[in-house]
Amino acid sequence: MPKIMIIEDDPAVREELTLLLANEGYQSIAVTSFHNIIQQIKEASPDLILLDLGLPGQDGLALCAKLRQDSEIPIIFVTSRNSTADEMAALCMGGDDYISKPYNIPLLLTRIKVVLRRSIPKAEPDYTEINGLRLNPTKGTASANNLTTELTRNEIQILAYLMANAGKIVSRADLIEALWNSKIYIDDNTLSVNITRLRDKLKELGLTDYIKTRRGIGYQI
Amino acid sequence: MTFHEFISDRMGKIILEIIILAASSGVLFATGTQPGIITLLFVLICLIRITVLLIDFFKSRSHLMELENILSGLNQKYLFAECIPPQKTVYERKLFAIMRRSYKSMMEAVSDTEAARREYREYVESWVHEIKSPITAAKLICHGIDPEPRRRLTQELALIEAHVERALFYARAENPEKDFIIQEYNLEEIVSEAVQTYSTLLMQNNIRIETENLHHQIYTDSKWTCFILGQLLQNAARYTKSSKPDYKPRAFLYTQDSPVVTISAELPTKRQLILTVADNGIGIPAHELPRIFDRGFTGSNGRARGGSTGMGLYLCRKLSDSLGIGLQITSIEHEGTCAKLTFLTKM
Repeated sequence: MPKIMIIEDDPAVREELTLLLANEGYQSIAVTSFHNIIQQIKEASPDLILLDLGLPGQDGLALCAKLRQDSEIPIIFVTSRNSTADEMAALCMGGDDYISKPYNIPLLLTRIKVVLRRSIPKAEPDYTEINGLRLNPTKGTASANNLTTELTRNEIQILAYLMANAGKIVSRADLIEALWNSKIYIDDNTLSVNITRLRDKLKELGLTDYIKTRRGIGYQI
Repeated sequence: MTFHEFISDRMGKIILEIIILAASSGVLFATGTQPGIITLLFVLICLIRITVLLIDFFKSRSHLMELENILSGLNQKYLFAECIPPQKTVYERKLFAIMRRSYKSMMEAVSDTEAARREYREYVESWVHEIKSPITAAKLICHGIDPEPRRRLTQELALIEAHVERALFYARAENPEKDFIIQEYNLEEIVSEAVQTYSTLLMQNNIRIETENLHHQIYTDSKWTCFILGQLLQNAARYTKSSKPDYKPRAFLYTQDSPVVTISAELPTKRQLILTVADNGIGIPAHELPRIFDRGFTGSNGRARGGSTGMGLYLCRKLSDSLGIGLQITSIEHEGTCAKLTFLTKM
């Protein structure tokens, strides 16, 4: 379980972020006293640091520079300062990413995942398999019963999201939100069309009613 | 200063001199001096007087021109009194001393105002940064609650965010200090950042976005450009043909009324890129088009729907002017609006 250290002075943000990261399956440690941060980091040795630039009494950039002298722990700057100059300064000081408040939460989680994947290379299986359907997002194919079909980008993302939430009912609004976070900016109509096409393709693989409609609520695998 | 102006300034003196000359000629004539000698004297004195006048004229004209040149060479014209050459006569010195005192008090007023404005801008900026923490906390809290209240709260938070962002950029745009950095950016990344930032407002209005041909590099400041694009996207989301926010679009399946925003780029020359943001919304009446960039102008659409501030496009114009980006908006009422941004692709 990757360990994420939160260095953030706003108590509400700190607590909620700790909770959120714990729910997402990370081990989160929040720094509550801002003396000796370097030492606290070294003792905890996290896999990733979320660092607020506006800490009381000290400069987040200077802290980063000091930490960079003998440590390669990935750092994501989380800050309410939103100008190009701030962003450049942060990245020049050795930050790995820069995200401005108030952030889009799925986007923050994606950034964390990307930075962690860069530093902890992990052999993830390149396919997901649920109820006899195997989705291979990198190849863009889905297969079942020894049959394979090619999927479009939209169809892959829809299927991937439904599969990641297998067993749960996913509302249309949630599905649209997830697609927007994957840079597919569709509306309600397009989603309906995509779902219909996806179902047709799955039918060709011999999977009828793989995606169930929960009338008035959403979809479910 | 023309010769005519110069003469009319001295008319009184000249007339007086002519009278004195005539009177002395009369006295000389009465005391028996020969008319030839009087005429000779008269012509001689007149010639000397005219020469002196001409020299005076050219001298004062060149002096005025010198001052004029100094003034036009100054960036801060109010510093003029500090930059002029030393005066020759006591009278001039006294005049300029009075002027300098007046300038000094004006400069104090100017610098006081500037300091106050800078302080205000700093306060707005720090206020905006402060308010972002509670908004972030609220968003995080939202993440954990039931879908329905979450969606509604997220929408309200997105509106708050948009207003806060406008306040920040208003403070930035109204001040001459330039705090942007022009660099090379990937257009696609900027567009997707803008779309992501305003995604809640766009999704809420059931907008579909189509992007086309965005794999290009442009020179700009990413934050400022994101903000400009965000304002255009917000307008597209706000002025769609369906005015009810909760309308069920499935009835219109793929009709022209389903709101679409198309973001595409073209390269008319090697150094220019035109980014087009086009929607199929309600459009802007032709007679209102010339005023859409005016501060506080809301137009008939804005008034009909309410909640319009008239600041979005005003800020777009100001920011794009400082960045050196071209911004043009065309629109056909009831058919849609099209904004064109012109970027440089090479420095």
